[in-house]
Amino acid sequence: MNEPTSNTELLIQYLDGELEGEELQSIKNNIEANPDLLDELENLRLAREAVNSYGLREKIRAIHPEMMRDLKEKTKPGGSVTKMIFQYGLRVAAVLIILFGISAMYQYFTGTPEKLFSAKFQSFELRELRGEPVNPIEDVYKAGKMGDVISAFNKINKPSQEDYFLAGNAFLNSRQPKNAIDALIKLQETNKSLNQHLFEEDTEYYLALAYLDNGQAAQALPILEKIHADPNHPYNRQVGSWFLLKLKRLIPH
Amino acid sequence: MSFTYNSPYMDTGNEFTDFSLIQALRLDPIPDEAIKHLYRSHYNLTAAYIRQNSGSDQDAEDIFQEVILAFIEILKKDKFRGESSVSTFLYSVTRNIWLNELKKRDRSRQRDEIFEKSRNPLELDVSHLIADREMKTRLMLMVDALGETCKKILLAFYFQNLAMREILKTLEYENEQVVRNKKYKCLKQLEQTMAAQPGLVKSLKTLL
Repeated sequence: MNEPTSNTELLIQYLDGELEGEELQSIKNNIEANPDLLDELENLRLAREAVNSYGLREKIRAIHPEMMRDLKEKTKPGGSVTKMIFQYGLRVAAVLIILFGISAMYQYFTGTPEKLFSAKFQSFELRELRGEPVNPIEDVYKAGKMGDVISAFNKINKPSQEDYFLAGNAFLNSRQPKNAIDALIKLQETNKSLNQHLFEEDTEYYLALAYLDNGQAAQALPILEKIHADPNHPYNRQVGSWFLLKLKRLIPH
Repeated sequence: MSFTYNSPYMDTGNEFTDFSLIQALRLDPIPDEAIKHLYRSHYNLTAAYIRQNSGSDQDAEDIFQEVILAFIEILKKDKFRGESSVSTFLYSVTRNIWLNELKKRDRSRQRDEIFEKSRNPLELDVSHLIADREMKTRLMLMVDALGETCKKILLAFYFQNLAMREILKTLEYENEQVVRNKKYKCLKQLEQTMAAQPGLVKSLKTLL
């Protein structure tokens, strides 16, 4: 049965369709004349079949786990619907995340101190003042007449801390940040000289906003960082990390 | 050949007809999508049959892989004559393989009961087309025993139909001739291993 190696090689070449012309005819003649060669050829053919069978089995084995997962998913009650809803939900979430990201990036890169001011500024509501109204400027402020508040403030010879505070807010409402800064700093100086703490925390927050409106991000930052770092500060929740990040970007290093 | 949903072998969308499926399964290499279609269209029926006849879920999975293998090999040898639908043919193949498996497991009584109970008047006799499972397993072990390099070369050349220059790129051999020589030696080695088991060779030759 065992033929010389050269014969085996010729048989394999014949099996693989690599022979032609005289070589092809010669091997055909030899196979016809020699039953051992024919036997070997058939065995080689079987060996080749075995290789193909092995390859095909491996291919099916590779596909099998994926298909079993798919089929099991489909036979789960509501499985495909749940999957569809889940996939749809994921897509919606992905779109929202992208939109949120774009919006955040836009805000981050296009921010100005004035925009940050506009995002945060809300008029101080006088009802938050405690005690009976004894200051005539209060009534005008409550009426929302900011111009009248400013006029009244300018006529006062010796403004109180409350006058300074209301005037500061009236200036902010009227988009006169420089005057607002002056009034609020005066309030802080008065407090300091009298060793008092009137409107202290409100003043910090509105002074920082005044700085922002006046384009002075660097002056606003330490005040806002202090508020952000103090969880007991009444304006703490107004100053988030993202807000500070946007503010810091505006300050040249 | 790559196979996509636009293949001419698929009639509409991603569904195969019997005709297009048979065409696809005869291709070299066989498109994954055609095998996946067999799973999608026929697995549940096969699994139900196995489970109803003393088989487990794992049996169903194992047998279905054997059924696909047998079906594709029958197609490749042009021994499927189209005398029935693919579904009917697969049923017959399944039944044949599973009944033989039960016989191997020494469950003759069960086997006889199942054979009579689920006999289908339209059933085809496919026994002459299908290699015994145990015989197949022995054959696969012989290929496995060749070693990684031999398997790689033989599979690349015969199963994947790669040219020698392509195979050379995946191996650390000097030139194509060295790979060619190695391929001869590997195939000869497999042939000799098989020849050492004449009973197996004789049975396999009846299926050629």
